[in-house]
Amino acid sequence: MPTCDQCNQPAVYHDVRIVDGVHNTTHLCIEHAYEAGVDLGPVDISSVLQSAAPTEPIKSCSDCGMTIPQYKANSLLGCPACYEMFREELTPIIAKVQNTHTKHVGRSPNQTTVDMDRQLQIRRLLQQLDSAVHLEQYEDAAHLRDKIRELDQTGGQSEN
Amino acid sequence: MKIDIEKNCPFNSVHTPSGDVVLSSRSRLARNLEGFPFVNRATASDCIEVTSLLHTLTKPTNDSTTLEWVNMEELDSITTELFVERHLVSSTLAHASHPRAIAVGPELSRSVMVNEEDHIRIQSIRPGLQLHETLEDVKALDSQIEEIISYAFDDQLGFLTACPTNVGTGARFSAMLHLPGLRIINDLQRVHNACEDLSLAIRGYRGEGSGTVADLFQVSNQVTLGSTQQDLCKVLADDFLPPVIEWERKARDFIVDKQKSKLDDQTFRSLGVLQNARLLTAEEAMQCLGNIRLGVCMQLVDSISVQKINQLMIELHPAHIKHKYGIELTDEEVQHCRATLIRNSFQT
Repeated sequence: MPTCDQCNQPAVYHDVRIVDGVHNTTHLCIEHAYEAGVDLGPVDISSVLQSAAPTEPIKSCSDCGMTIPQYKANSLLGCPACYEMFREELTPIIAKVQNTHTKHVGRSPNQTTVDMDRQLQIRRLLQQLDSAVHLEQYEDAAHLRDKIRELDQTGGQSEN
Repeated sequence: MKIDIEKNCPFNSVHTPSGDVVLSSRSRLARNLEGFPFVNRATASDCIEVTSLLHTLTKPTNDSTTLEWVNMEELDSITTELFVERHLVSSTLAHASHPRAIAVGPELSRSVMVNEEDHIRIQSIRPGLQLHETLEDVKALDSQIEEIISYAFDDQLGFLTACPTNVGTGARFSAMLHLPGLRIINDLQRVHNACEDLSLAIRGYRGEGSGTVADLFQVSNQVTLGSTQQDLCKVLADDFLPPVIEWERKARDFIVDKQKSKLDDQTFRSLGVLQNARLLTAEEAMQCLGNIRLGVCMQLVDSISVQKINQLMIELHPAHIKHKYGIELTDEEVQHCRATLIRNSFQT
């Protein structure tokens, strides 16, 4: 957002004039606009305040796109990665619902099986292949197709 | 479907430890697959992929305990409701519209729900106090599933679930209790206090938000994180239930000793209704069966067994009646068939 030419406040008045091919731009904040006698018309104070407030982008999960407001609406997270993405926000919530506990005790899963890894890799490559075809990036698509075939054959051999 | 609903009612089992107070024990583990969004954010193709990965769980083997696979979309509405009434599937799974499935043991006590709130809900339900046995059932299925897929897991938080109330062990243990004695002597607060002390939740027959029916209460662990699944099971099975069973038995003895005519009246009045009624709502039938159950446990009635009452408490629900007598029944016809079913049970 442009700032006032006379101070660093956000500008609410913008004027562009072209005289003999020369651009003249003026940006003024609400205070300096009044001082200069500019008629700003009816002013919506809330929108001015909102535009002046620093806006932070809402954090979303890189894997599924879930945001904390969405989680709060139905108390369900979107994917396993949400726990990592929102660890800071979730820790007090987990402590509250789990009677102050925040650390798992007991059984861990067995090591990831090779086959599951292969299936997940194929799944991700298939998604990339879909988008490559959609974007008509046929060279990439062919490369991805070969990779998928290779992984598929590896699996077939290990199953025999 | 090869499963025979008529023959398989685990609640009619003779082996019901502490069956006078504990109707059934249940263990449930919530699990999710690594690399997939949780069900609430999954596409139909994600759900299909999850079901197809898990379908291999039911590949035919010579083992008689192998689960049978059922795609929920292929199940007719009566059988779906019947599974809900048996507590084999949740209402959430039964009434969803995305691709989902259930794998059921031939004895109808073990089941694996696929694409419920979590990708996998492993469950075992047995009659009487058999919580440790149900834990062994779900542990065996858990290991079997782990051979074919990878679970979503975090070193700090354990098994990752769609709702943080299940994170950690993902384990929920519950027992269905019949506590008419403590209700009559007005001492249920003691049970509520014990639940609070041990971080247990106490609810009505149909779970969260349901009222009390026939003095039946469901007690389960509230916390799933910070203790092992064995320890969570022990809190309910070994710390909470033994004293509560004792309190209930003492209350019943006290009633027989001090309020015999009141107990006789409650029991035989209910027996009169069930032996003569021509129309019965599920609620009235449940209430009367609950009263008679107490009478049977106190040896006032010998024309029916506790196991048969447990079975009727499941079979009197609408989908079971429709499955047995005809799917097109009106509400009044359901009430009529229910009255006939129960009346006949007391004559044989």
